[in-house]
Amino acid sequence: MPDFEAATGIKVEYTEDINDNNEYFAKIDEPLKRSQSIDREIIVLTDWMAGRLITLGYAAPLDDSKFPNKANLIDNLRDVSFDPGRKYSVPWLSGMTGVGYNPKKTGRELTSMNDIFDPKYKGQVTMLTEMRDTLGLIMLANGADPANCTKADAEKACARIKKARESGHIRAFTGNDYAEDLAAGNIAVAIAWSGDIQGLAADNPDLRWIAPKEGAMLYSDNMLIPKTSDRQDLAMAWINYCYDPAHSAQIVAAAPYISAVKGAGEELAKIAPDLAKSSLVNPPDELRARLHVFRALSDAEDTEFNKIFQDAIGA
Amino acid sequence: MAGAAQGGARQSRLAPYLLVAPGVLWLIVFYVIPTLTLAKTSLAVGDAPWWESYRQALTGYGDHFLRSAEYALAATVIAVLLGYPLAYVMAFRAGKYKNLLLGLVILPFFTTFLVRTFAWKTILNDNGFAINFLQSVHLLSEGGRLLNTTLAVVGGLTYNFLPFMILPIYVSLEKIDPRLVEAAQDLYNPPSSAFRKVILPLSLPGVFAGSLLTFIPALGDFINAELLGSPNQQMIGTVIQNQFLDVRDYPLAAALSFVLMVVITGGVLLYARVLGTEDLA
Repeated sequence: MPDFEAATGIKVEYTEDINDNNEYFAKIDEPLKRSQSIDREIIVLTDWMAGRLITLGYAAPLDDSKFPNKANLIDNLRDVSFDPGRKYSVPWLSGMTGVGYNPKKTGRELTSMNDIFDPKYKGQVTMLTEMRDTLGLIMLANGADPANCTKADAEKACARIKKARESGHIRAFTGNDYAEDLAAGNIAVAIAWSGDIQGLAADNPDLRWIAPKEGAMLYSDNMLIPKTSDRQDLAMAWINYCYDPAHSAQIVAAAPYISAVKGAGEELAKIAPDLAKSSLVNPPDELRARLHVFRALSDAEDTEFNKIFQDAIGA
Repeated sequence: MAGAAQGGARQSRLAPYLLVAPGVLWLIVFYVIPTLTLAKTSLAVGDAPWWESYRQALTGYGDHFLRSAEYALAATVIAVLLGYPLAYVMAFRAGKYKNLLLGLVILPFFTTFLVRTFAWKTILNDNGFAINFLQSVHLLSEGGRLLNTTLAVVGGLTYNFLPFMILPIYVSLEKIDPRLVEAAQDLYNPPSSAFRKVILPLSLPGVFAGSLLTFIPALGDFINAELLGSPNQQMIGTVIQNQFLDVRDYPLAAALSFVLMVVITGGVLLYARVLGTEDLA
């Protein structure tokens, strides 16, 4: 970021306003509905929430003439269901949702999503409150595909979650906070984000993250320009800057997620060779092939799925 | 006192209204208008009959309402049991340490509610010293835990609202005329019956106010259940929060909030009737 400021003279302010997609949406929905400024030039949101903003017309189109580096976007993220042709959004970083565990507590290595339901781990399991992550993984465990799931698939997965919750098998449904519990040994197994476990690796080399053999979820956090931004030109300059492989590698070195920029892996090997070897940051093709993306849900479906999911997690 | 000067009659008739005006204005802007908006939201159910969101609220979330009431009641009772003796000591026995004790009761308020509740998460950590100690003296089974249990949620609620119990009781005890207690003892009442016949009845308004100040916020609380509970301890506040933010079923969330408010208001009125006090400390 300081490099960018030096190169362009544009001052960047990085704020961590967003703790939770839904909470942030509740905050910006009203002003954007009335076309009022939210005082941010770029916001970074997860796929489905980015999709909701695009559908609602809250996002400004990206100006491709100011974005030559768009060519560096990796192929499998070029066309996504919520933003065909990437007219409004491009990934900031991607991450994987799978199973994180503490081998000292599990006493063995895990390979399958079904291991999380092993009765031995009763009361030592957490899952995520982020519906698409938890639901997607359980669907995969049930042999369903989150990329074209039906309501029946969601109901089946939720019934399984509810049963485990009611029996006391699941200790909590969490946001990022499961990571501390996993490191502290309060829990043995968690549905976990790859970046969190990679981030903890330095202090807790024992913690593991796996993509279960049934498959794992892939999500991206996407940069969007709110339609009320009055400096869209500056925002485009920053987005273009981020899509230079060397710059993207710098971002990954600071936040251990997955770059969506071609060639960032090679650049990362130059500045942080150890990190570049981690499959959590630089997933090999075999792993990439097992990653799934939750399909786009209509607004009505979103409410419907959320209803049964919230019921399953007891809230 | 009844015969005010004739000249000031008009002025004194207006004065009470002027005095309550700021408070009434505040209530209109921050209570009446939001409540009406909430009522409107709860009825915005599209084609369904107008009571649809209320039907869902009443049929689908009985467990959560009941659980919230149980937890809030438990926290209130424990707070009375802990708070009354402490307030008693502060009012009658503390001597020069009175202000110090009062300060200590208020001290936790200098840190925010959320941070204090997070701190309990660390204290009750499965591998923390508190749990290890309880396990080593066999108060807790090997592999047992406190975090994410009912006990932790009720404990958190009690802890967070205890000062609201202590302070009103303290105030009502403090203003009891010591001569009344002396008179009771002069009339050959042993201390226990002096307490029962004089101090306790005179301090009831404080207990009443403290119970309301503890029970009502505890009933609507969601932080303690969220941070210290497991998914099987979620309270009605959690449901309302999730319906507003995650499911975005605004009518249902509004209906749930409304039902909660009605339950609280009804409960308070009933409580006031039974305890029959007009003097809220």
